[in-house]
Amino acid sequence: MGIVSRAIRNISRRKIRALLVIIALGFSMAIMISIPAGVIANQQAATTLATNLGNTITETGQTINQTLLQIDCSLSSDFAGFGFGPQNFTFVPGQGDRNGFSSGGSSGGSWIAGLDPSQFGGGTVSGRFGGGAFGGGQANPMNESLYTDISQIAGVAAVEPVLQASEGSNVTTSFMGRTFTRMVPDYTIEGIPLISGLIDNYPIVPTNITSGRTLQAGDSGVVVLSENNSAYFNAGVGDTISILDNTFKVVGIHGSSGVSDTIVLYMNLSDAQRITNNEGYITSLRVFATSSDVVSQVATDIQSLHPELTVTTGQERLNQLQSLQSAYDTALANAQASIAQTEVTAFEEIIVVITATSLIVLFVMLYTVRERTKEIGTLKAIGFSNATVMGQFILEGILLSLIAGVVGIAIGVVAAPTISGLILPSVNLFSSSSTPFARALNMPTVAASVNLELIALAFGAALLLGALGSLYPAWRAAKIRPAEAMKYE
Amino acid sequence: MSNVVLQIENLNKTYMLGKRPVQALSNLSMHVNQGEFIAIMGPSGSGKTTLLNVIGCIDKPTDGQVLLDGIDVAKMPENQLYKIRRDKMGFVFQTFNLLPYLNARENVELPMEGKIKSKSERKKRAKELLAMVGLSGREEHRPQRLSAGEQQRVAIARALANNPAFILADEPTGNLDSENKQEIIKLLAKLNLTQGTTIIMVTHDSQAANHTERILLLKDGKIIKEKEGLHLAKKNNKCPNCGANIKSTDDICPICKKPINAIEEPFSS
Repeated sequence: MGIVSRAIRNISRRKIRALLVIIALGFSMAIMISIPAGVIANQQAATTLATNLGNTITETGQTINQTLLQIDCSLSSDFAGFGFGPQNFTFVPGQGDRNGFSSGGSSGGSWIAGLDPSQFGGGTVSGRFGGGAFGGGQANPMNESLYTDISQIAGVAAVEPVLQASEGSNVTTSFMGRTFTRMVPDYTIEGIPLISGLIDNYPIVPTNITSGRTLQAGDSGVVVLSENNSAYFNAGVGDTISILDNTFKVVGIHGSSGVSDTIVLYMNLSDAQRITNNEGYITSLRVFATSSDVVSQVATDIQSLHPELTVTTGQERLNQLQSLQSAYDTALANAQASIAQTEVTAFEEIIVVITATSLIVLFVMLYTVRERTKEIGTLKAIGFSNATVMGQFILEGILLSLIAGVVGIAIGVVAAPTISGLILPSVNLFSSSSTPFARALNMPTVAASVNLELIALAFGAALLLGALGSLYPAWRAAKIRPAEAMKYE
Repeated sequence: MSNVVLQIENLNKTYMLGKRPVQALSNLSMHVNQGEFIAIMGPSGSGKTTLLNVIGCIDKPTDGQVLLDGIDVAKMPENQLYKIRRDKMGFVFQTFNLLPYLNARENVELPMEGKIKSKSERKKRAKELLAMVGLSGREEHRPQRLSAGEQQRVAIARALANNPAFILADEPTGNLDSENKQEIIKLLAKLNLTQGTTIIMVTHDSQAANHTERILLLKDGKIIKEKEGLHLAKKNNKCPNCGANIKSTDDICPICKKPINAIEEPFSS
């Protein structure tokens, strides 16, 4: 009958109390391991997001440089009502492998609160630059006849009419008491004119082909899928897929441009107009100027001829890129500040939990010592040393905490994401203000997961807290005078 | 009777009861010889338990000397005292004070933990001791499954664990019925005769006290009377009534036919 087995028997003597203490301590331990897990997850998420944004900016910049002569024209979509209301935001706190980006929402992107969403909206930007990363999609269709008008403006070298349409399902979410319906597109169709003079001289067809071929002049009934489309349709080069009840043959796969989840599939403009019932309509025009000198003049002329159009030049897109860059910088700074704040909060919470845990052990052990005063007196009367008595109680405290540690780890492994989500502030990338959009656009969540290091740490903490919490009660026990204890009933 | 094993000189013990000092022991001197069986009697508050606790090194006197084999333990620090309690003293309490979550054998093994390293040896000795107090076959029973008398036997076996020089019994029969009372007293007397263990017993019970060889009466922290008990007669093999030779196992004198353990108030005056 050693000191350890006595400690175990003593704990099991008061089963309900031991159970309650173990549950209470277990939750403390679970919180203790969930908090660092949550902080790590936040840091990972911020890093992922920063990398994605950075890559997008770089690639967008490259594309813009290639298309300095390009002027984009589209009908101003329903951006005027932007603000609150049934707007759709396209940047969704990440879920799964989407890394925080959702592509091509319906009415223009508003991915950064405070920036004019029209800067990023419009089918063209989404189609060409970043593949829907910034929203875009269902812009208002306009009559194809615009094509003729604009072609005749001086300085215009070529005009590329484009029809873009997204297919997906509407998802309704409730946020801050408002209901938002946004379309989560499964894929975006981009119809481009497959005319030999046009596609030979201008960047119209997708170029980053990873298998098969790109579109050629006169192609009809064929599509070039993105890699994500390929997975969505479960089809590869040579396969046949059905789009809006029409059969298309896959001739090529293009790699992602911009962010990873590009879901644009390319086909002949006439095919796109036919299958979407948009014959005679397009969603945007890409106008190519004869030289960079005349780009802004051409843009002005287009605008004065068709004031209803939103006209964007390459230069303007560069400006947008700068805005994007500064938004990125802000987001990053906010993320860093936010994570620093999270770390401070986490630290404070851990201190509170450690204190609470030690106090639980302290009071339970104090109570136990009081309850067993007579027993302690007896043990000392029959020759137990103070050190042995003290050791007995410290061991009991440690054992109790260790059992609680196991329980806590079990809870933590299962519930770390929930616990850390509940008690840690969420990292806000875009603004410290609490506008609904800024909040809605919080960073993607990476599930907090408990690793071995944290488990080892929790065990160490359990051991230490058990020892710390039972130190004083054990000392009290050792100081009990046996003659006094004998009188105690 | 030579060979003094315990010598107490001018012992004083003052308690503070709230702010009022209470003199529990007042300039008390006494001695105990090797192998004696002594009873300490006295009214409540006369200081008998305090005296026993001081002898047992679980309470400290205010001043005076307690010489155990010539060594003064009155001023000894706790880190040495516990060894004296463990090695030289065996306590038997009125309320038995067995650990409820340990069985009889484990309770008896407790004091051996600091002394005997081998588990199996401890177990063997505990079984022997339990057999000696008549509890063979009850070793694995927990206290709540034993009768009061049996529990006190376990406590006596525990007191004997480290083969102590003294057994200090504080009202060992106080919680027992008359039958068990007799049994426990007989057991203590037997141990005194066979093992030669010095026994100091505090008791209210004059019948129990009569079975010892020397009875001390305490009042107000002083020994006011001393008397021989029947146990001495047995030890000396003389009938206390007629002086005839008797055997230590006899309960009735074979010559005068009077009971040797006749009930008689030791301090009736």
